Amino acid sequence: MSSLIRKETATAVAAQEQVGQYLTFLVGGETFAVSILDVKEIIEIASVTRVPLTPDYIHGVINLRGNVVAVIDLSARLSRSPSQVSKRSCIVLVAMEINETLQLVGMLVDEVREILEIPAANIQPAPDFGADIRTDFIEAMARIDDVFIILLALDRVLSLEELSMLGELTEAEALRSAPAE
Amino acid sequence: MNELDTALAIFAQEAEELLADMEDALLSLDQDPDNSETVNSLFRAMHTIKGSSGLFGFEPIVAFTHEAETLLDKVRQGERAIDSNLIAVLLESKDHVAKLIEHCLNANGPALPAELAATGLRLISQLNGGVQTAIQQGTGSADEKIFSEGGGEISVDEHWLISLEFKQDSFRDGIDPLSFLRYLKTLGDIKQILTAANGMPSGEAMDPESCYLHFKIAFQSEATKETIERVFEFAADDCEIKILPPNAKIGEYLALLDAQDETQVRRIGDMLVQVGALTEHDVEHALQAQTASVESQTVDGAKPKPLGEILVEQHVVQQPLIDQALKKQEQTKQKIASEANYIRVDATKLGHLINLVGELVISSAAMNLIVEKHGLSDASDIAAGMNALVNSIRDTALELRMVQIGDTFSRFRRVVHDVSKELNKDIQLLISGGETELDKTVVEKIQDPLTHLIRNALDHGIEHPEQRLAAGKPAQGTVQLNAYHESGHIVIQIADDGAGLNSEKILEKALANGLVKKDHGLSRREIYNLIFAAGLSTKDQATSLSGRGVGMDVVKKNIEALRGSVEIDSEEGQGTTISIRLPLTLAIIDGFMVGTASERYIIPLSMVDECIEMSANECEIDEIQHYINLRGRVLPYLRLGDYFGNTTANANQRESVVVVKFGQTEAGLVVDELHGEHQTVIKPLGKVFERLKGITGATVLGDGTVALILDVQGLIQAAIDHKPKALAHKPALRRV
Repeated sequence: MSSLIRKETATAVAAQEQVGQYLTFLVGGETFAVSILDVKEIIEIASVTRVPLTPDYIHGVINLRGNVVAVIDLSARLSRSPSQVSKRSCIVLVAMEINETLQLVGMLVDEVREILEIPAANIQPAPDFGADIRTDFIEAMARIDDVFIILLALDRVLSLEELSMLGELTEAEALRSAPAE
Repeated sequence: MNELDTALAIFAQEAEELLADMEDALLSLDQDPDNSETVNSLFRAMHTIKGSSGLFGFEPIVAFTHEAETLLDKVRQGERAIDSNLIAVLLESKDHVAKLIEHCLNANGPALPAELAATGLRLISQLNGGVQTAIQQGTGSADEKIFSEGGGEISVDEHWLISLEFKQDSFRDGIDPLSFLRYLKTLGDIKQILTAANGMPSGEAMDPESCYLHFKIAFQSEATKETIERVFEFAADDCEIKILPPNAKIGEYLALLDAQDETQVRRIGDMLVQVGALTEHDVEHALQAQTASVESQTVDGAKPKPLGEILVEQHVVQQPLIDQALKKQEQTKQKIASEANYIRVDATKLGHLINLVGELVISSAAMNLIVEKHGLSDASDIAAGMNALVNSIRDTALELRMVQIGDTFSRFRRVVHDVSKELNKDIQLLISGGETELDKTVVEKIQDPLTHLIRNALDHGIEHPEQRLAAGKPAQGTVQLNAYHESGHIVIQIADDGAGLNSEKILEKALANGLVKKDHGLSRREIYNLIFAAGLSTKDQATSLSGRGVGMDVVKKNIEALRGSVEIDSEEGQGTTISIRLPLTLAIIDGFMVGTASERYIIPLSMVDECIEMSANECEIDEIQHYINLRGRVLPYLRLGDYFGNTTANANQRESVVVVKFGQTEAGLVVDELHGEHQTVIKPLGKVFERLKGITGATVLGDGTVALILDVQGLIQAAIDHKPKALAHKPALRRV
């Protein structure tokens, strides 16, 4: 009996010792975080070329050392208004895997904050409702000093299959917004 | 590459183990000849080696192990007894297989060294039932006489000529010539039999138990030479068999010889065996005769007779076939000799080089920009010189990947031959423009669509000979493959002189499938292009080849993925021509840079026909109708800035119209600025923009910014489908 109790406390300690590093950033005044392991690079915003006939969440393409990389406007992607590019705006580059090849995708964020160490014990599953973004975009909620921040599920937020449904989505959106006008 | 090497290493190891097991098994069989499990393991060893060699295309091993396997199967079935002789032969065979494997793994050349080949043949004959006696030389002249006597009377144009010379001991060995003739009848018609009784001695000298008769048979059959030869398989030891193919078949053999691939020099016998003009038995026979004659003639120092001559003398093959095979062999030799000037380079290395050249082109453009910007007159000469060099490096680098399309075309000879046989049609393939060059990656990717289109032409296009004759056309159908360069593109045409497309039938099907609506007023050409839509087949019955209504849409998709286009033209009853236009390369294009407000776009230069100023005086601008009068022609246009939703457009600026042309369609793109020619290194836009219409890729400009490359065809198509409000009531585009 006593050994069982000791084991339980041991696992609790182990869970507390498991600390993940997360990059936090601001989008539309709200703080989000992603695991640092997903982030390849953070670059200043350079000249972005607009790609016509694409939905708002496609900010454009940039030249990253000779390769053309798509930049996603995270604010628009999370169903907020398109972000205003400022001095503090940054592009967070992440590698998405598709058909076993890695493809770089950039996320436009308003401001990069800091790298936080969050113990696994402080991470909780996403609530079923209550958040103002699509629940499947939320990987988990992390508690930092009594404030919850959202850990983004990058494989869904930047799902290449979904992002590439450009035409279909815009048409669908147009249809949806038409009756409202 | 690496995977193949690994696989080969595994194969070598596996074969070595199997052969070691085989040796053990053989040695134990010596002690215990009735152990069926051991025989089984021998059979499996040969079978496994044969199978895996086949995977790697090691023909010599496959051929040899096949014989060994056949024999072991017979042993397994109890048809042949194991004795010490057989075990000795099998042991030698095992060593031979080991040598063959070593040869195939080490030497890249497919041709076997002479002694290996000779050992192989000897072993095979030993495996196949006893030691074959040397050919009896003495009877040669007598045979010749009989042949010439008989040959004169038998028509060899359409009939196989089979000559059977049974030996005197045939009856004693249990061979009954009549039973063979009866069996032969099951394969076809015996048109005529000449019985030569020259060998019959008179009176008492004749032994009724001896066979003196020789037969010459004119035989009509569709069977292959090998099948006919197999009839006499059991009599092989007691009978001289010569089978001469009908003259009518020569044409077919010649065509097949022509279609043989030219990647390796092969022995003449092998070439003829492959097309079916000879059987391996014939070649073996002739080789023995050759060796025998060498042995008898070494004293005089005379050269041995060539194999071809011996084959003709033995009446197993006609002279024209030998000539053709020799010619082909010579061609192949020449081709391989010229290939010796080539270096094989890993395609990824080449790809890397081309990428680097692409970067070089971009940075050279950047340097020019800086030199111009700062007005460095000293540097401008050097910069211009370097620019010229970079251009020629670019061209040369791209040429490295260029290959002639001829090889791809030639492969279809075989397809046409096989398919026309399968369909009972008589079709010839004419090839022209084989020397036209294009990028290797394009060649690889165009192969499947081409195969599909050719199969379609063969199956749907060309009619059966009776129908063709009824329509007043020659019975033989023609499919033409042609390639030529046209303004930075390569055009590949597939033309057949078949039935053509029935536009009414297509329209009917399309209406039934809901692809188009009634009263659409489609032109004939537009109707033909409907066959590229998914799910449309005018064939009432699907065959194994085509007709299921899938495929043409895939063909179109594949071609469009290569930034190409496909057009179809047809004349009912006269034939169909399909033209595929493809860019020469996928890596770098000559572009034409235009600007709308602050944005810059690249139009592939090959599509730009001309640029005109958009002025109210010269062209009658109609703001509502969106078309202009271009020297009396109606030219619909698209305002690029508006279409792309660029809100910062400068209304006061003078606009220009870039007239673009693809295939038969012309349209205008209205832009604010013309920046001129630009060497464009195409960068993929990636998965996210895969479905974006109107934009095909991107490029990095000298100043480091990204410019998008317009897909003119997709853009116009999207504009037609989209029909913005201003264009809705007018067709956005008209064919000229």
